[in-house]
Amino acid sequence: MNKKGVIVGVIVVAIIAGITASYSSSQTETLNLDMGRTHGTISTAMGSPILGDPSAPITIVEFGDYQCEQCYAWFHETKPAIVRDYIDTGKVNLVFVDLAFLGKDSIPASMATYCAEDQEMYWEYHDLLYNSQESIDGGWANSERLKAFAYSLGLDFELFESCLDSEKYSKRVQYNIQQAKDNGIRGTPGFFIVGPDGQQKIGGAQPFLVFKNVLDSMI
Amino acid sequence: MIQTIKLVYSNFKYVVLASTIFVPMMIGLLILSEYIFLEPYVVAHLPSGSELGFVLIVIISALSALVIPMNIFRIKILKSSKQKMGGGIFGSIIGAASGVCSCGPIGFAVISTFGSVGAAATAFLTNYEIPLRIIAIVILAVTYFTTIKSLKVECNLNH
Repeated sequence: MNKKGVIVGVIVVAIIAGITASYSSSQTETLNLDMGRTHGTISTAMGSPILGDPSAPITIVEFGDYQCEQCYAWFHETKPAIVRDYIDTGKVNLVFVDLAFLGKDSIPASMATYCAEDQEMYWEYHDLLYNSQESIDGGWANSERLKAFAYSLGLDFELFESCLDSEKYSKRVQYNIQQAKDNGIRGTPGFFIVGPDGQQKIGGAQPFLVFKNVLDSMI
Repeated sequence: MIQTIKLVYSNFKYVVLASTIFVPMMIGLLILSEYIFLEPYVVAHLPSGSELGFVLIVIISALSALVIPMNIFRIKILKSSKQKMGGGIFGSIIGAASGVCSCGPIGFAVISTFGSVGAAATAFLTNYEIPLRIIAIVILAVTYFTTIKSLKVECNLNH
């Protein structure tokens, strides 16, 4: 009777532990993702967290690859002025959606940003990648370097490492790539400016003046 | 050298041909390399740090427009071999291909069609954009000087 009781007890504990584990892992995903999030025709549910005021009337959806030199140019030449004049003032927000296609290190780099998001450091990691960009598949975004970036940002290294090594966000990145293709994006960086009355596509690392004209016409 | 250029370009047809090569090639390369955008507005943009790339595109277009008509002149008027023409076209293709296969629509199409082989080729053309354009300029310059030399000999310009 005692033995039976122990066995039943172990089974009950195992079931409770299993349910708790599966519930807590789905909680982690749910915390990061709003599955119904769309901007215009684009499902941004699997994209980045929103940069800026989530209730801003206009959203810039950026499709990019961390190894793309034109994305690097846009990040340094155009984005700072957009952040200063439109995002920091609450008029516009921005979502980054991965179109990781350029080389073998592109997808791991995108996955790494979501591993950083688990520790609420998505944008810090995103910015660090664009500040560290070198040649395509030149080793700057290989697994070791991606982990080193996490370490330099002070992330929980073991948590980040297990996330990256397990390719936890592989499907999320693939979903984003498919979103880009479904919306006719054929290169990076590509943008949709989504306002209350519609959306405007902008292809390439265009100057601030172009974004200003489009944004001002929507505000 | 000037005599040879005058000889070829005294015929207005070759001036038109040179312009027909230079203008579309330069504008095409500037669009593909994202120095010029057509949508939503027509805008020219020269990001800081990309000045050298811009200058190299202009030089390649100018040299292609100079060398290719001269070689057509050689082939057509003097019935010469097509060997030197190959150098001009080869140099133009290298110059055009480097850089334009980057993150834009051409790179995307190449990678989507050819997978990892396309990705490797695109990465090579992007990573070595500037050296490849310099090589293209060297090829075009060599073709130019050998063409000048052979025209001098074939047309007896020194006599």
